[in-house]
Amino acid sequence: MQSETILEMDGISKSFPGVKVFDNLCFDVRKGEVHCICGENGAGKSTLIKILSGAHMPDSGTIRIDGRVVENNTPHLAMGLGVQTIYQEHNLFPLLSVYENLFAGNEYTKGGLLRKSEMVQKTSEILAFLNSDISPFDIVGQLGSGEQKTVEVARAFIKESKVIILDEPTASFSQAEIKNLLHIVKKLSSEGISIIYISHHLEEVFEIADRVTVIRDGMKINTYNIKDLDECTLINDMVGRDVCSFFNREKVDIGGIKFEATDFSGNGVSNVSFVVREGELVGFSGMVGAGRSELAELLFGVKKADTGSIKIDGKDVRIDSPIDAILNGMCFITEDRQSTGLSLQHSILSNSNIAMYSKDNKRFVKPSDDLRVAQKYCKSMNVVSPTVHQKVSLLSGGNQQKVVLAKWFATNGSIYIFDEPTRGIDIGAKEEIYKIMTQLLKEGKSIIMISSDMPELIAMSDRVLVMRKGRLVADIPKDEMTEENILKFSIGGGSDD
Amino acid sequence: MIKKDLVNEKKWENALTKKLMHHENSSILFVLLLVIALVVLAEFFLARGMVFKDLAFLSSRNISSVLQQVSITGILAIGMTLVMLMGGIDLSVGQLMGFIGVLMASLIKAGNLPMWSIVLIGMSTAIVCELLMGLIISRTKLESFIVSLGFMSIYQGFIYLITNGREISIGDKFEFIGKTSINITSNFKIFSSVILYVLLTVIVWLAIKYTKFGRRLYFVGGNENSAFLAGIGVKNFKLWVYGLNGFFVSIASMIMISRLSTGGPNMGQGKEIDVIASVVVGGTAMSGGKGNVWGALIGVILLGCISNALNILGVNPYYQYVMKGGLIVLSVFIGYYSGLRKKSKTRLNQRSIA
Repeated sequence: MQSETILEMDGISKSFPGVKVFDNLCFDVRKGEVHCICGENGAGKSTLIKILSGAHMPDSGTIRIDGRVVENNTPHLAMGLGVQTIYQEHNLFPLLSVYENLFAGNEYTKGGLLRKSEMVQKTSEILAFLNSDISPFDIVGQLGSGEQKTVEVARAFIKESKVIILDEPTASFSQAEIKNLLHIVKKLSSEGISIIYISHHLEEVFEIADRVTVIRDGMKINTYNIKDLDECTLINDMVGRDVCSFFNREKVDIGGIKFEATDFSGNGVSNVSFVVREGELVGFSGMVGAGRSELAELLFGVKKADTGSIKIDGKDVRIDSPIDAILNGMCFITEDRQSTGLSLQHSILSNSNIAMYSKDNKRFVKPSDDLRVAQKYCKSMNVVSPTVHQKVSLLSGGNQQKVVLAKWFATNGSIYIFDEPTRGIDIGAKEEIYKIMTQLLKEGKSIIMISSDMPELIAMSDRVLVMRKGRLVADIPKDEMTEENILKFSIGGGSDD
Repeated sequence: MIKKDLVNEKKWENALTKKLMHHENSSILFVLLLVIALVVLAEFFLARGMVFKDLAFLSSRNISSVLQQVSITGILAIGMTLVMLMGGIDLSVGQLMGFIGVLMASLIKAGNLPMWSIVLIGMSTAIVCELLMGLIISRTKLESFIVSLGFMSIYQGFIYLITNGREISIGDKFEFIGKTSINITSNFKIFSSVILYVLLTVIVWLAIKYTKFGRRLYFVGGNENSAFLAGIGVKNFKLWVYGLNGFFVSIASMIMISRLSTGGPNMGQGKEIDVIASVVVGGTAMSGGKGNVWGALIGVILLGCISNALNILGVNPYYQYVMKGGLIVLSVFIGYYSGLRKKSKTRLNQRSIA
């Protein structure tokens, strides 16, 4: 293996308001190697890529590409220096043909006219090199997910890249497509192109990596040569946190079965059944894209399920829309409070009352009642804001989340679905939210909590259900709950179906 | 003690400037200044005896005629405010008003139906037309802009089919709604249409404030996804708002034919521009979720005053189009600018971690 360093990050720090993402991170990539980056959700992998590709500016530290120090990195500059990033989502022109996509922005021209035949010729050559049977004239939008990724790789290749970054390329791939992509990656690296490869799937990592860097909480834990690494070390490194220092939840007595979901399928979920008891918190774990949020959407009637039935308090209920769910006492605290939880331009007052309106058939509202409800929950949850008339867009993430909770508490529901309840929230507000959740449990309410935050899952859950590829793969009781155990089920631990 | 007062004063001052830079207020303020300038100008010319004396802007006759003129635009603006609050737009209101107007005029002229049934036919046709459009917009992801543009042309076609391009005179058969007035002095009259307009504004204002419908209107406009998850049947909600808009259109068209005693083919032409301009100047956001009927009322009156003042000044009426268009762009621009300042202050708070 060659050992010439092509890309180097030295002492990179980056923080967002309230959160430090990276502190003094060092990272390097050698010419022609496949370098995998592993880490849990939220460890900082995506931020690292965004810094490399110029989408984010680091607060301090230097980036060297090909020995040259890059200052004021921008996406354009990074591309010019030969760093191409292929993001998780497709970034193509779906209505144009393959060759047009490949040359978009870099067309071969002569006197202002396109030299189409040359471009088509070149496209065919590259596609042949990548062992792909796509035609240069295929319309990109009609290609499959894997083929589109191939087109993106081909586009990066055409720009004479030195480093190609692949962020979760196989997220929505079939087995055959994954195999093909891994083959392409190997081929590129044999041409002397360096690949930074990010994946949740450990089997892919072990198949193609030359070196592996593990990131956790914005710190580089270690860089290994693949031959010095085994799966166990890797998982330990990804997890390895001090769990004891985390929030310690009070114990609550668990009652009878409150909520029973049977055989839910559709929306990327297949055959999921589970029960939640009164006063019980059931955690859902799994990697991004495992179908947890999709399951929540089915339960709450946001999306139509192909099959599945719900029993609440032993009675069959029909939930076709969020209205039905709310009338049956369900609450859904969504993953993304800005796009699905709140109306940002409106006040705490109107946001906290809106779901309650769906509970009864009265036509009129009493502004004084609305005000009382908003003030009551703002006070009980300690929302930091001068008045309830404050726009929620001006609140911090933690306070926004509390307003979302207020909205649902006002409906007086008994079954709560929390999807990533503490994402993007600072540690102090996190604890407050945990306390609020514990309080709910004490009142005998049931909670379904989807979380990618391992310590949170372990500290809060009475049971953890693990999902993988749309299926429930494990039901882990409290005493067997370890990060290693959960992660093993989430990523399939080497075995595959 | 003194120090505390100072702090309070400062706070109050900050609140005031903040309020003034607020979108709706800033554009209204700007238009208000424009009106004052025009009025001063008009009176200035008048003092030199350059324009007819009895058209003076502040004369009671002129004021009552301005009020009468704006009531039609105003009633359309109420419906438009509702549609825009929920994040939609309806370009077809002008032509729909014309269509309903000539339909009713032709029925009145034929004279073989009782008046109440003609009124009923007019109203229900308007509501059904809007419901149809609402059905398309709410059930698909089509832009309300383009759908209503299509309907606008359809109604224009209907108008010409009914009228053959000629006016339909109805004489004095339908006077109540547009021509009756309370005479306070011989010059100052309050027309029934003005009373109706104010009444409808008050009713809608109360409805927005004290009903779930009103509260939800803002929420659907603010964030449709979140509204759906909060248990609002967003699709049907949108449908009914368009239906309601049809009701306001039908009232406006009745006033129109009553006042003119004819149903003319060009009655509603360009009306949508006046209506949208008034609503936007009144501070209702095109993106939805922000605004109210009082803003629309102020916008309607201000725009009415401006065009009236321009008339008094003897400005070529064609310039009024330029003026109105410029005003829309400018007030939206001011709103954007004041929004921008606010955003730059809060961007730090909003940025979340990727």
